[in-house]
Amino acid sequence: MGLKRDVSLSAGLRYRGPAGYLTYILHRIGGLGMGIFIAMHILASFVGGRFGGTLNGIYENWAFQIFIFFCALFHAINGLRITILDLFPKLLDYQTEAIWIEWAVFLPLFGLSAYVILTTALGG
Amino acid sequence: MEVTVKIFRYNPEKDKRGNYVTYKVEADANDRVLDVLEYIKGKIDGALSFRRSCAHGVCGSDAMRINGRNMLACKVLIRDVGANITVEPILGLPVKKDLIVDMEPFFDNYKKVLPYFINDSPLPEDGRERLQTPEERARFDETTKCILCAACTTSCPSYWLNGEYYGPAAIVNAHRFIFDSRDEAADQRLQILAETDGIARCHTAYNCTVACPREIKVTKAIGEVKMAIMTGKLD
Repeated sequence: MGLKRDVSLSAGLRYRGPAGYLTYILHRIGGLGMGIFIAMHILASFVGGRFGGTLNGIYENWAFQIFIFFCALFHAINGLRITILDLFPKLLDYQTEAIWIEWAVFLPLFGLSAYVILTTALGG
Repeated sequence: MEVTVKIFRYNPEKDKRGNYVTYKVEADANDRVLDVLEYIKGKIDGALSFRRSCAHGVCGSDAMRINGRNMLACKVLIRDVGANITVEPILGLPVKKDLIVDMEPFFDNYKKVLPYFINDSPLPEDGRERLQTPEERARFDETTKCILCAACTTSCPSYWLNGEYYGPAAIVNAHRFIFDSRDEAADQRLQILAETDGIARCHTAYNCTVACPREIKVTKAIGEVKMAIMTGKLD
């Protein structure tokens, strides 16, 4: 007798992990986002017609493009951090600093790109 | 000061699922969360169940989620967590009653990595101990500190998703023997950890290192084992 070991998504997300836990979650969201984007792309080309056009309209929308750019860029930079730390375990002493560096690289790159996408989309 | 403590309660004889009960108690800022739990059990609700043994951060019995993060109740002061405290069982292990979880799955995973000294070679000529240099001893000093409280393993999202994953505590204890110059089963342990439910499931969420009450650099130990598996070298 007892409660099963199941950990719900909300229980997992409510765990107050450190900065590394946030990057862990965003990495998964990034991977999922890219998967959805590719699936929509393939589906739109394969099905075509009105449904394909609707899908096209979604992923060509500027808001979706900003989201996808976030997913791809974050996934890439975070993946690079993980790879470097895997190859040089001694650097894991500076795991927190590595995450700050990651954000310092990611935020300007993403901010600038989002600005360009936004001004292009809304400016005409 | 008045402290509001919200505690996860579950009675397997009555409840289908857990619920939260809130208690208001007087406590000193320098009291530990364990002291508050003891007070509630002793003075307000004797049915409250939780594990505790040494109460000094050595036995590792009272690992629980305090304000959403794994900690030892005997090592956390009220002043560090504030006057509003939520206490829940650690995640990823079956809950038996209130804050008590079934530790068997945790120890089953622990046993898989052969967490004991293996050396079948004859003893040195003088028949006394197997010697090692201070440097060789220092190589695994960090991971000897583990008290098997399960705070690291039950803070790991990979373990939440898959209970077959050996988990950080098992890997830390494998590290303790893999890098011991006197031990002869490092290859065997590395092979075990190279399996599907071994080291590959670590995705460096880093929760384990922060959760460890003994301040073991768990992610670093896992990283060193990963590297040993990749290169086949122990230096």
